[in-house]
Amino acid sequence: MNEAVTARPIKISERGWGGGSRRKVTLGRILFGIGCLAIWQWAHARLGTEWIAGPAEILGRAAELARTGELWVHVWVTFGEALLGFLIGGSAGVLLPFLLRLSPRLTRALDPYLAAAMGVPKLSLAPLLILWFGIGLMSKVVFVGALVFFLLFFNGLAGVQSVDSRLVSMARVAGGREWVITREIVWHTALPFIFAGLKVALPRAISAAVVGEFIAAEAGLGYYINNARSMADTVGIFTGVVLVTALVIVVNGALELVQARSLAWRPVDRDMVV
Amino acid sequence: MRVVIHGLTKEYVTGKGNIRALGGVNLEVRDREFFGVIGPTGCGKTTLLNIVAGLQKPTNGSVEFVGEKRTQAMVSMVFQDAALMPWRTVDRNVPLGPEFRGDAKPMYQRVTQFFLEMVRLLDFSSAHPNELSGGMKQKVALARALANDPEVILMDEPFANLDAQTRLLLREELLRIWERDKKTVILVTHNIEEAVMLCDRIAVMSAAPGVVKNVITVDVRRPRTLKSMSDPDFVRCLEKIWDLLRYEVDKAMRENHPSADPTLQEKQSRRNYFGWW
Repeated sequence: MNEAVTARPIKISERGWGGGSRRKVTLGRILFGIGCLAIWQWAHARLGTEWIAGPAEILGRAAELARTGELWVHVWVTFGEALLGFLIGGSAGVLLPFLLRLSPRLTRALDPYLAAAMGVPKLSLAPLLILWFGIGLMSKVVFVGALVFFLLFFNGLAGVQSVDSRLVSMARVAGGREWVITREIVWHTALPFIFAGLKVALPRAISAAVVGEFIAAEAGLGYYINNARSMADTVGIFTGVVLVTALVIVVNGALELVQARSLAWRPVDRDMVV
Repeated sequence: MRVVIHGLTKEYVTGKGNIRALGGVNLEVRDREFFGVIGPTGCGKTTLLNIVAGLQKPTNGSVEFVGEKRTQAMVSMVFQDAALMPWRTVDRNVPLGPEFRGDAKPMYQRVTQFFLEMVRLLDFSSAHPNELSGGMKQKVALARALANDPEVILMDEPFANLDAQTRLLLREELLRIWERDKKTVILVTHNIEEAVMLCDRIAVMSAAPGVVKNVITVDVRRPRTLKSMSDPDFVRCLEKIWDLLRYEVDKAMRENHPSADPTLQEKQSRRNYFGWW
């Protein structure tokens, strides 16, 4: 039987009309970065430090904070809040769709309530959570958890509902138990959706922790930024923002490594966001 | 294993009232027989197959498997499109039955190899489904059905989504495999030529509600190949079925019955898996 294998995704560089294209992209990227820094530096020189802190000042401040050890404290506090909230809210958000799958009727009954809960602007809950859980770690963990839960829950639900019903039929006909079907079929179907949710949820988790710290906290990057604001310390605000951004980038990079490994079977990286 | 279907009816409850998809089907499929079910769109062929597979419950009537069970599983299914697990390689897709039943791994790996060789896809063991053509995917699905080691194989329009040439090739392939180890096969199709080429007997169904209008015996000599299609017996059989069918097809087309709606059927079958809540 002579059947051709359908084409694998062809990289543009394999086609031969872009030999130096990768190098050009890298070059463009570097030039763009330099351009941005130049505009920044120019605005800084034009408007002064009290409006826009310069890159060099920020770097200096960050180095100083790192030396005194203050930096690591703030980063660690924010990261810890985001991570704990993420783990708790995330695992609940991933698990619940799998449980709801066992009862489509219940899912349908709950649908309007879930949509309503999704509609609540989570950021506006922050003051309430601080009232309930105090200004320490707990209120931020709950805040981050609520945010992450909804993001992952809706993505996970979409993933679980997109399961190929014929595949499930087949597994049932073959005598597969519900648990085996969940593990071998539903989980793998939902995984790309869950990763798409994670991609959105991870930066938001860190943002949520920072926002929580704005309102009331004793440490953390949000606390540092807010504190700098109250003392009109523009360099401090900028440094805080840059540090938060750096934290998000590092965490995102880690996620992408895990994703590349788990979803190696997917031909193209299609993002599935609901 | 014989399959005895007695007085089978199926009604779907919808907002507009009950829809009768099957109106009392009586059939007896013999042991090791290649049995075809043909009918117009929406005559309940797929419903019938799902009920035989145990995926849907009939409103009335029964399906019985009569005879000594010589194999591991009772039924296997082959769907219109292969429905493979895209995250698994071919050789991990094939042993779905034995793996989900909980057989030992070394054993089902041997079985997998055996059936992949039978469908001539051993070279593609470690490919992912998205690297295969439609015909190859369907062959993997066939290998998977065989690896399940069933008494009865249920096929729901297995070649409908393939191009005409691939379809011809796969028909021959299926015949070759079936001749080796005759199993009871129930094939649902709307392709008359395909039914005549493959089957020993063919049940012609009427438009909804589906009932068996007639059972035709195909007198074309086995083993059959592409050349059998020019056999006078083949042509005669084809005409006979078309004479029975044309009125029904016309009727189905004009009524455009809502039970032809596959989403409705799917929803119904899902309800049956989970029951209330």
